[in-house]
Amino acid sequence: MTLFEVARVGVSVEGRRLLEDVSLTLDAGELVGVVGPSGCGKTELLRTLGALRDPDSGAVRVGGRAPSELSFPVWRRRVTYVAQRPVMLDGTVRENLHRPSRYASVGATPDEDELRALLERLALAPAVLDQVARKLSVGEQQRVALIRALGIRPSVVLLDEPTSALDPEATARVEDLVRARAQTDGLAAIIVSHDPEQRARWTSRRLDLSAHRARGTGTARHG
Amino acid sequence: MADGGVIPLGPVELAIAGGLVLVAGAVSLALRLKLEHKLGVAALRTVVQLLLVGYVLEWVFRIQSPLVLFAVLGLMTAAAGRAALARSSRTFAGAQLGAFVTLVLTGLTTTFAVTGAIIGVRPWYHAQYVIPLLGMVLGNSLTGISLSLDAVLTDLDEHRERIEMELSLGATAWEAARDSLTDSARRGMIPILNSMTVVGIVSLPGMMTGQILQGASPLEAVKYQIVVMFMLAASTSLGCMSVTLLVVRRVFNERHQLRTERILRR
Repeated sequence: MTLFEVARVGVSVEGRRLLEDVSLTLDAGELVGVVGPSGCGKTELLRTLGALRDPDSGAVRVGGRAPSELSFPVWRRRVTYVAQRPVMLDGTVRENLHRPSRYASVGATPDEDELRALLERLALAPAVLDQVARKLSVGEQQRVALIRALGIRPSVVLLDEPTSALDPEATARVEDLVRARAQTDGLAAIIVSHDPEQRARWTSRRLDLSAHRARGTGTARHG
Repeated sequence: MADGGVIPLGPVELAIAGGLVLVAGAVSLALRLKLEHKLGVAALRTVVQLLLVGYVLEWVFRIQSPLVLFAVLGLMTAAAGRAALARSSRTFAGAQLGAFVTLVLTGLTTTFAVTGAIIGVRPWYHAQYVIPLLGMVLGNSLTGISLSLDAVLTDLDEHRERIEMELSLGATAWEAARDSLTDSARRGMIPILNSMTVVGIVSLPGMMTGQILQGASPLEAVKYQIVVMFMLAASTSLGCMSVTLLVVRRVFNERHQLRTERILRR
């Protein structure tokens, strides 16, 4: 059964049309890679799918429901965008990982054992839990941000170059973790990656945005 | 003067006070600060503006018309709203009206609470009490509001990534903006908290000084000053809180999306 559906979505930035007619369906456990030349709107597409901005046309649905039917915070808890540049809040890594439990749409506090297990899976020592998050390297922060997002148990993650600051070892660990969650929990992912080898080994399908670039500005294609 | 009361000042006394400005002018000349001209204009403005206000207040107090009184209060509030925005580095559409409504709701209600319920003036909108009290309330609130407004707009504008990170993990607009909101409200309240802490130790407040000069007993003047400080604390904190809430309502849409393009830099 289709978990996530993107139907003829168009994306504009500041009145300039970037993408049009982007369509995609994902089943539970599916990993899809997104490709396209830089500046074509990959990040804006992910932000649109994460309902951080509105599409200018088309629709998105998770489990058959639109963001407005679920409420936007609930949508984002289910379809979670993880930015390329990790953002850490003041305080320790543990405080960062616990942050979402404050939100009404999330509620549950993450399990300490599970957090430790996740950190270890991503080659981070459990001791980082008590370190100041902003003092970690970007690569470490990128992994903490991924754990923070997986901690709210989304159905779909939208990963924007999730391994851009990682060495090959850590990259492989991140790929393994997402793959394992896909197999055990049916997590689906849309992943922007510039590395063709990574896409080949990590994702089963690809969405090529060069076929959806808007021609001219402000004109929608019909038909 | 032994029996207290106001000592009336005549033209001669005011002229002597003018001599004090000449001292400042002489300093400027001696040190070549080239401020004599500005000083002269400023002194003239002080005289003209205060005399005008004096005449207007005399008239307003004398005619005792609620209509005129409320027109004056409206003008004062509008001017305070403008001043609050003028100091902010960022603004948003509707900020002017928002600041005005905030000041009306927080400033006028606290002032009338004091004149009606605490001082017990009859009628509660007695111009002689309402106008000076509202003036103090507005002066303090506008400082607080402009600090809070600037802080919350700057924070939301500069920390879009942090706020969107929280939104993308399931936070509502309010949950994502909470840190910005509390920081900004706190920022606006610091000046009034500082002045509450040092009041009487570092300086005697103007109103209390005025009452003592008029011959009031210091203890009576102190009681008034306590009421005034509490009134200023209440109105400033309400003002800071309301204006930050207003900004969050304006800068997020109903779909819990942050619209930083609604924040206008200047």
